[in-house]
Amino acid sequence: MKPNKLITKVLLFAVFAFLKANTSIAQGTDNTDVSKQVSALKPGESNFMMVGLVTFGFVNQNITTTGLSPNKTNSIGDADRYEFSPMFLWRHGDKLLAEFEPSWDGNAIGVNWADVSYYVAPGFIVRGGYLVLPFGTYSKRLAAGWINKLPSDPYGMDMPGSDFGVEVEGGFPLGSMKWSYDIAVSNGFQLNPNGQIAGVGINAINNGKTVTGRLALLPLSNSSLEIGVSGLMGSLATPTGDSNIYNNPMASMYAVDFNFIKNINPVQINIKGQYNISNINKQTYSSPDSSLPKYSFENNASSYFAQLSLRPSKSKNKILRNFELAGRYVNYTTPKQSLWGQNYSEMDICLDYWLSWRTVIKLGYESTKSDGTTSQSVSTGLDGTSTTVNRMIIQFSTEF
Amino acid sequence: MKITSIQKIATIIIICSGIFGLITVNGCVESKQVAAKSGAQLWGENCSRCHNMPAPATFSQEQWKTVGMHMQSRALLTNKEKDKIVEFLQQSSN
Repeated sequence: MKPNKLITKVLLFAVFAFLKANTSIAQGTDNTDVSKQVSALKPGESNFMMVGLVTFGFVNQNITTTGLSPNKTNSIGDADRYEFSPMFLWRHGDKLLAEFEPSWDGNAIGVNWADVSYYVAPGFIVRGGYLVLPFGTYSKRLAAGWINKLPSDPYGMDMPGSDFGVEVEGGFPLGSMKWSYDIAVSNGFQLNPNGQIAGVGINAINNGKTVTGRLALLPLSNSSLEIGVSGLMGSLATPTGDSNIYNNPMASMYAVDFNFIKNINPVQINIKGQYNISNINKQTYSSPDSSLPKYSFENNASSYFAQLSLRPSKSKNKILRNFELAGRYVNYTTPKQSLWGQNYSEMDICLDYWLSWRTVIKLGYESTKSDGTTSQSVSTGLDGTSTTVNRMIIQFSTEF
Repeated sequence: MKITSIQKIATIIIICSGIFGLITVNGCVESKQVAAKSGAQLWGENCSRCHNMPAPATFSQEQWKTVGMHMQSRALLTNKEKDKIVEFLQQSSN
């Protein structure tokens, strides 16, 4: 072989080898990039995320009670309204969702809900675990500090709260309207010696379960009006599990809720309300003073709130449209002649400034009045006494 | 009004609503007007029932899917509403 031909062949081989190597590298790089892009676009099977809320503020209040000296207090952090609640959401595919929301109120860590939902079919969601019972709308939808347009929760709206159970729910179209259902079966409640009820927790001490449900109708095509009716029924356990203390105690509760939004340019008007009543069948209770005889009372309670808020959300002024003015009236009547009997009323007004869609600063004023209706034969402390509280609150709340 | 009367009324309302629901459950079809609504329109109408309308940039596309499932349960949205709202928020979140 001539040297020229040999050199040419070697050079050609070298060029071929170089090109081959570069092509492989380029292809490898392309494959990696494409793989990364595809991977980024491909929907994941699972998604874990943490959101949550924090609410804190300052409160200055004057408390006046019949026969006692006025008491003034102020507190940074606002013990009755402080809340730090991270919420963990874990989605597996598009059928399974686990939710967990612990909450610290400044004194103790509790759990608002810890449940898992399976999205079986359109309009049919099944949930199990520690869940918010479907009674009214306040506890389930409106209680978060960044959603509530006023600094405090309306008194008497916290029952029945959360419980261990299973739940089915769903929403359906109905022509231009919509309707929804939400039904839960849970462990239920116990009847405490003073006639109040409390959740039995995960270790149910009664065999009877409590059924809670809500039906709602949204009659307008733009979903601006929602009317809901709720009911709860169940047998009650005794704290000790001794069923002989009471005579087949049963609880029933009912609620009606209402929500309406209307835009009258440039103002958005929102009216909300909920009315709750509860009844526990006639029982005889032991007095805390064992020397006194047993006593009885009509164990009926009712609570309601009505709320109006106005926000010039369509205003051209960028500052003005972030303000919102809210007013609310609250009433809570607990059983007369019981140890916890009172007629409570509250009037609130608040000016909100929205820093973003989920961050708000509130300047609120609340005036409450409570008249005790406890039986003097059971306790001489509260009957006839009247307590008024006037408080000013500055509050910050955000969802993160 | 006595509480017992209110209980009776509430019981009647619940029973009537239940019967109404059972009768109509098979006919749960949306009107053409409702079916034609966009995700943006449904986002505006439904979210504001409880809170301000969320900014689409708040969450990623995958997170909106998770949040959509959570909110469907809270607000009891129909399946189509949830799908349209999530799609709108995902598209607008970029």
